[in-house]
Amino acid sequence: MGVCEIQSLTRDYGNGRGVFNLSFSINQGEVFGFLGPNGAGKTTTIRHLMGFLKPEKGYCTIGGKNCWKDRTDIQKTLGYIPGEMVFFDDMTGTEFLSFMSKYRKTKSNGRTKELCDRFELDPRSKLKKMSKGMKQKVGIVAAFMHDPEVLILDEPTSGLDPLMQNRFIELVLEEKAKGKAILMSSHIFEEVERTCDRVAIIRNGRLAALDAVEALKAAQVKKFVITLENEDAAAAFAEEGLRISGVTHNQVTVIVQNNIKELISVMNRYPVINIITPNQSLEEIFMQYYGGDRS
Amino acid sequence: MINWTLYKRGIQGSWKMLLIFAAVITMYFTVIVSMFDPALGSALNEFAKAMPELMAIVGMNPASAELVSFMEAYLYGFIMLVFPMLFCILSANKLIARHVDRGSMTYLLSAPVKRETVAFTQMKVMVTGLFALVLYATLLGIVNCEISFPGELDIGKFILLNIGVLCLQLFIGGICFLCSCIFNDSKYAVGVGAGIPALGFIVQMMANAGKDLENAKYATFFTLFNSDGIIAGEPGAIWGMVVLFAGAVALFGTAIVVFSNKDLHI
Repeated sequence: MGVCEIQSLTRDYGNGRGVFNLSFSINQGEVFGFLGPNGAGKTTTIRHLMGFLKPEKGYCTIGGKNCWKDRTDIQKTLGYIPGEMVFFDDMTGTEFLSFMSKYRKTKSNGRTKELCDRFELDPRSKLKKMSKGMKQKVGIVAAFMHDPEVLILDEPTSGLDPLMQNRFIELVLEEKAKGKAILMSSHIFEEVERTCDRVAIIRNGRLAALDAVEALKAAQVKKFVITLENEDAAAAFAEEGLRISGVTHNQVTVIVQNNIKELISVMNRYPVINIITPNQSLEEIFMQYYGGDRS
Repeated sequence: MINWTLYKRGIQGSWKMLLIFAAVITMYFTVIVSMFDPALGSALNEFAKAMPELMAIVGMNPASAELVSFMEAYLYGFIMLVFPMLFCILSANKLIARHVDRGSMTYLLSAPVKRETVAFTQMKVMVTGLFALVLYATLLGIVNCEISFPGELDIGKFILLNIGVLCLQLFIGGICFLCSCIFNDSKYAVGVGAGIPALGFIVQMMANAGKDLENAKYATFFTLFNSDGIIAGEPGAIWGMVVLFAGAVALFGTAIVVFSNKDLHI
């Protein structure tokens, strides 16, 4: 049995919104990626895990305890980064962190300084005046400072610069190595690729897919937009037997899956002037793998 | 059942507001007590005789020559009803609904602190503020009277009057706090939480104004605070205080239960 279990969780907000019959579990020492487009039900699921919402049907447990009934008990060993950072007005970061520490009745304050150093955070300024990235760092410190066993991270790196995103990934990997169970929702491919063991994707409140991240990487589908000298060349290029997803003027969009060499040899024979790999969202990549469309 | 860190934070957040209310009360108490003249009847009584309707609406009826009745008529019919009531409305919203509305409640609940404890602590913050305000008014009244008219004030009756006001304000506070716990939107919490006591107060003003509308007094809980009766030592007035206090306990209790069991979209 996993550390965190979600069993047929249902909450219907009407108009197809909410979560429906959702089930998955997270094991000890595992980082579980939780993906899905906006409004898919990620935050609703997380609110149930936090004990903010009572399930209409089904249940969720953390460490064998019911997330609604035993929420106070669960919170002792839980760390949470909310999707939106809203603190109290008029507190400085330092005051907030020390408030949270006393409010939680945390025994030692040991990790706070280490975490602030790690994220190069000087928490002495007013929270109201902090930039989004700085607020995010305060939220990260607040979630990790009491050394929790289970972590629920809702888009934890939003607003962070790439260097800090990298530090955050390192932190998550360290915590994972310590045997903690981590649920992380994210839109950043690299973050998920480097930290997660398994990934679930949720669409319209339903579990659309769940698999190991390795499987996703192995089957990763890449798109290339190739610009040729003229439209005739583009039309001929499209006839070369590659998987083509579209031709517009002198541009051809090619889909490549484990056959990059074939593409290169074809390109050698044509007047190619540019290659672009358009950014694909994590969900897009994942859904291509599953052959689903985004309807 | 109480989280002292949160309590301390709540008190820190309230004292500025308390200071403003205390300053307003100080001003009124000082001015009105100075108008008392045991020999001739006060200047205010002259007003009351000249414009009985207008003065009656705000609960100021011509008082007897006793200082405690004078205070009751000119301070405990309007000033000591409206200002602590404003404190209740603002404070109740600030302590619960605003945190839920903005989302900062997330941090109070993502910690091993029961929702019951959070609500109870916030209630304590509000009750402490209310108690401090009424206690301050009591001491201020006594000191003011003793300086200007030594020995004139019936201190026992004056204290009882203030206990009565405290019971009424706790009841109002209970209504505001319950609304703050029910509604997730600050605007509804304030709208309903302020609307009910304000409506009650307006109905009382109407009932004071004219004989035709006198029966309207049965439609408002303000009638349970019978300040004349408290001064006169009527048992009914004491029972009114008891009912208000019991009502306050029930309202706060309900508020805590509601908050502990509701869905929070934070």
